[in-house]
Amino acid sequence: MPRAMGGERGLELCGVDVFVWSAKTPELPTEVGPFRLELISNRGTRVFPPPTPDIDLCDWPRARYLANEAIADQDVDWLLARLTQAGWIWTKSQKLYRKDGADLFSHPY
Amino acid sequence: MAQHKVCLIRGDGIGPEITQAVLTVLEAAKVDIEWVDLEAGLACVERGLPIVPEESIQKLAELGVGLKAPLTTPIGKGSVSPNVTLRKRLDLYACVRPVRSLRGLPTLFPGTDLVIFRENTEDVYGQVEYMATPTVAYTLKIITEGGCERICRAAFEYARANGRRRVTAVHKANIMKIADGLFLRTFQRVAAEYPDIEANDRIVDAQCMHLVTRWTEYDVLVTENLYGDILSDLCAGMVGGLGVAPGANMGTKCALFEAVHGSAPDIAGQNRANPTALLLSATQMLAHLGEHRAKADIEGALEATLERGVKTTDLGGDATTSAFAEAIASELRA
Repeated sequence: MPRAMGGERGLELCGVDVFVWSAKTPELPTEVGPFRLELISNRGTRVFPPPTPDIDLCDWPRARYLANEAIADQDVDWLLARLTQAGWIWTKSQKLYRKDGADLFSHPY
Repeated sequence: MAQHKVCLIRGDGIGPEITQAVLTVLEAAKVDIEWVDLEAGLACVERGLPIVPEESIQKLAELGVGLKAPLTTPIGKGSVSPNVTLRKRLDLYACVRPVRSLRGLPTLFPGTDLVIFRENTEDVYGQVEYMATPTVAYTLKIITEGGCERICRAAFEYARANGRRRVTAVHKANIMKIADGLFLRTFQRVAAEYPDIEANDRIVDAQCMHLVTRWTEYDVLVTENLYGDILSDLCAGMVGGLGVAPGANMGTKCALFEAVHGSAPDIAGQNRANPTALLLSATQMLAHLGEHRAKADIEGALEATLERGVKTTDLGGDATTSAFAEAIASELRA
């Protein structure tokens, strides 16, 4: 399996955030290959898994997929392709890294 | 049955003592309120409950109005801010901060009388942050048409209902042409629906300068989350600081009135805290409940008390919290 880019700099690729164009909280697959759907947030507020707060939603929720095992950049490409094939329109993605065990990304409320 | 039923969160640190002071004053003003005490804060955490229990959130949603003293955010990994929890869960999208210079409290900015509407739910406060590479960090600034529309509409509705003549949009659309451009365009679209209210806009840096040079020209300001955060404290400083700065967080279903300052655990229980900010939050709440006369009476009594030189230590006086409250109550009974 190819190594994740960045590995030589001490970064561990651990998942991807995918911003989806969807008027409602999308019913995305919760298990896809090596990934699990960790959460969906909307304007920074967690809306999945429940309980879902009664808030005004925008049409740009963010889905966070984390890997259950070591992954490479190609795994992220594969996940995004799967979402596209399933009909989801994603408009932005951001790979998620850890360094020395610390997340290099924030967590929503 | 009482005329109004209002949720009450007595808070952490100085919260209980300033709450008692406010209740003393409101009782003297003979406002007919049934208070419904809600649990929240450190005491809940110590008992293994969420910092804002679900029952408290549901009660606030049910009654639709609350008065809240400061709550402490526990220190430590995974700790949750009770204030943010309430804003998120109740979708309190508008932070409304009246700023008015008080008689008896000298300031460099006499005659200040404005209200800031700060959008509370988006902008850079969504905690969407990444290290893109080991040397590059970024934060997403999310601005939505819906979020802009409801805060702008709230500002114009407030202006119309309270006899305010002008609403000013504060932005940085000259640099962030897309994100702040959306805010400005939405403001202009909403403004067109309120021809009786003058509408204009200012770049945020120019607005800051105007606030300290031409402060009487401004009336209602409406702005995004980050600019509102900064402007609110700037304006609080103009009229005496956070000790006299009231506020409210409002949504379509609930309005929560609260002081801007923190729980000041270092002086908790010493009967030294200044209850003015919470008292003015309470009078803001009275206006929301339609009790305009009581609001005017209490604010008049507060200013008369300050003019007599009765002040808490943070304002240069020597009055205790309870003595200050009793002095205001005495003015009301006179």
